[in-house]
Amino acid sequence: MSVVEVTDLKKSFGRKVVLNGISFTVEKGEVFGFLGPNGAGKTTTMRILLGLLHAGSGSARVMGADLGVDDAVRGRVGVLLENNGIYDRLSAYENLSYYAQLYGVENPGDRISELLQFAGLTERKDDPAGTFSTGMKRKLGIARAILHDPEIVFLDEPSSGLDPEAQHMVRDLILRLSGREGITIFLNSHNLDEVQRVCNRVAILNQGEIKALDSVSSLTAGAGMTVFGVTLSDKAQAGAAQRVLEGIAGVSDLQVQGDHISMKIPHNGAPEVLFTLTGAGISLEEAKKQSRSLEEIYLDVMKKAEASS
Amino acid sequence: MREVMVVARREIQQILRSKNLLISAVAFVVVFGAISTPAVIIAADNPAVILDQLGFYLVLTLGIFCGYIFSGQAFLREKTEGVIETLLCSPLSLRQIWLGKVTGVTIPAYVMALATAVIIAAGSSAILERTIIYSPQVIVHILIVIPAFIAAASGLIGFAQLLLGMRENQILNFGIIMGLIFVISFTREVIGPTVEITWPVLLGTLLVAGALLALIFWLVRFLDRERIVTTLPE
Repeated sequence: MSVVEVTDLKKSFGRKVVLNGISFTVEKGEVFGFLGPNGAGKTTTMRILLGLLHAGSGSARVMGADLGVDDAVRGRVGVLLENNGIYDRLSAYENLSYYAQLYGVENPGDRISELLQFAGLTERKDDPAGTFSTGMKRKLGIARAILHDPEIVFLDEPSSGLDPEAQHMVRDLILRLSGREGITIFLNSHNLDEVQRVCNRVAILNQGEIKALDSVSSLTAGAGMTVFGVTLSDKAQAGAAQRVLEGIAGVSDLQVQGDHISMKIPHNGAPEVLFTLTGAGISLEEAKKQSRSLEEIYLDVMKKAEASS
Repeated sequence: MREVMVVARREIQQILRSKNLLISAVAFVVVFGAISTPAVIIAADNPAVILDQLGFYLVLTLGIFCGYIFSGQAFLREKTEGVIETLLCSPLSLRQIWLGKVTGVTIPAYVMALATAVIIAAGSSAILERTIIYSPQVIVHILIVIPAFIAAASGLIGFAQLLLGMRENQILNFGIIMGLIFVISFTREVIGPTVEITWPVLLGTLLVAGALLALIFWLVRFLDRERIVTTLPE
């Protein structure tokens, strides 16, 4: 059974349609990235999944339950929202202790010490959280979100406000939670590099509709196609090479820039391209498959969405 | 009930660490308690009647006022800062969250009310140069009715603060402050210097407190996560 199941979910505020029939699932142990520009409907989707907003129509279920009404299932979910859920006047230890009591954590002392160490806050554990930097508060918020060993964690921009070292720590944490502990992660983020590094699958949302939904590897490789590039030993052979390539079935989007030619080829088409080029007497300096970054894909999707609207 | 007390304890912790809030509450209680005590001279032949009246309405009003300012910390501030959203994602029901906060607000507000009662009695005794104490019915009023009223008022204020947007909350706050100042300033004139706090009066007050508590417990069923989240400041 999928951990998250969203089916034809719609939501409007007054006349403004925020979600227009989105559907997706997230499987157990998966790191699912939810991308989109501001106002795309990401936060609304997350809030509906967390039971903070009612679905307009369709359904949004987490572990088979509607979190808006199922208190017990909410106890198996970890949440880090834009606000860290931290009380400024309480110390780091008191904050974690408070949530440990709310979630009924067993042996809270040991678990809190472990998480304070993980977040690098052991030495500041008795200081009021209000005296912490943005990054320290974020780390404490992350520690709070996983305090009760949840089965799924919803993270809303977890790296926001963090320095590069702390961002690295967050990425490691996500990979550790998902890999070793089998926790499902729902990651709402603008940080495309982070999403590409840690997510198995992503959904790109724009204007309340899902514009792309696939595994990161499939998206970056292109739909059934691979971006392939060759560098010629002799720039003067560029014209001849182009003519040879145009004659190969399945090769498209040829772009010649000096001694470099890039193209799209079928996933298993590289040997044929290389064989044909060398057979035609074209001398090659270098050849390699190129994958597009998630950022390029994201911008492409946004551009297409803008054009179609 | 365990979860409710966890929330209540945290609210009390927060209130005790909020120096400005505590100073405001203590100053209000001490100043209004102290400046009201000379009123016992009016009825020099029977000052206990005036003392009872002060114990009846002033202690109640100041207790409610403290409940109001502590509610601002427990409900409104948490909403303004957005921390409430994380709490709404916890396994607690809305009723448990609300009840925990109300309990956490009522306990310190009631302690303030008790302090007011002591200040008024001690001040009156000092002015008259003899010890005067509250009648048994006012003591019962202070022990039972006042905490019930503070809980009902804090619960109602907290309920409204959770459901209303920030602008509406500003209007509500203004209305509450003006109302409390009006009550403190004019109640004694309305009651008159000779009205005694009798057992039937006490019983009536107790019934009103019970009815208010029942009303607010019924109203809490209309608390809604979506309403709270959509009225959070941007």
